[in-house]
Amino acid sequence: MGDEQAFDLSVKANLECLKKVRQYISQTATRLGVNNEALGDLLLVVDEAVTNVVIHGYGDDEGQVEVQMQADGDAVSIQIRDRAETFDNSHVNAPQLDTELKDRPFGGMGIFLIRKMTDEAEFMARPGGGNEIHLLKRDAITR
Amino acid sequence: MGLDIMVGHAKGNVPITVLRIEGDIDAATHKTLQDKAAEQVETGATHILLDLGGVNYMGSAGFRAIHAITNMLNKEAAPGLSKSPYLKLLGPTDAVARVIKTLGFDVYLDIYQDRDEAIASY
Repeated sequence: MGDEQAFDLSVKANLECLKKVRQYISQTATRLGVNNEALGDLLLVVDEAVTNVVIHGYGDDEGQVEVQMQADGDAVSIQIRDRAETFDNSHVNAPQLDTELKDRPFGGMGIFLIRKMTDEAEFMARPGGGNEIHLLKRDAITR
Repeated sequence: MGLDIMVGHAKGNVPITVLRIEGDIDAATHKTLQDKAAEQVETGATHILLDLGGVNYMGSAGFRAIHAITNMLNKEAAPGLSKSPYLKLLGPTDAVARVIKTLGFDVYLDIYQDRDEAIASY
C-alpha cells in the first residue's frame, strides 16, 4: 500500500463532504477545460459514487474517501477509493423505468446513473480492504 | 450547506402550493425537501408545484424525495402509466432536466419552464 499514488482530494466520508467533492470536480473541470454537458454528468456520477461510499460503505463507521480527476487526451478519468466494506454492486438492478411511479422501488438509481453517464465504470476491491472505482468519460474536453 | 425552501400559494383551477427551492439537492439535503412537502400535505396541500429554478444540482436523492412526494399526493392509483395531476415541476436547469429524462421521471411528471403555464395546467 505504500506505493499508492496520492489523490488530490481526501475528505472525511460523511454527507457533508458531498458538496466539497462536487466543488473539487467543478474546479478541476474548469482547469482541464471540460465542457458543460460532461461536467454535469461527472458531478452527478461522482456524487452518486461518494454517496454510496458514505451510506452503504462506511454506514455508521468513520473513514476517508479519496478522489482524483485528470485529463486523458479528450477524455476525463476519475478514481474514487475508500477503506469501507467491500461493496458488491452486481446485484443492484436498474430502476424500472416503465413502471408506474408508485410501484417503483426506492433506490437503485445511483449505480444506474453511474453506468449510464460514463463510458467506462469499473468497480473493484482494493488490496488491503476497501473499494476503488475507475470512471472514464470520453469527449469531455472540447479543444 | 442546506436547502432553502420558500412556500408560496397560487390560484389555478385548484389551490396550488408552490415550493421554491434554492440550493443543491443531494443525499445531505433531500430530506429537508421531503419533510417540507410532508408538512404542507399534512396541513391540507393537495396540489404542489416544485419550482426548481434555484437548484444547481440534483442527484438521485432528490428524485427519491420527488418520488416520495408524488406518492404522498397520488392517493388514488391512476391506471396505467400516467402523469400526476397533483405534482408538477417548474424551471429545471438543463443539467437537472437531463437527469429527469434519464431516470424516466418525465413520464410521470409534467415539466414547465413558464410559471403561468404551469399554474394554469392544474
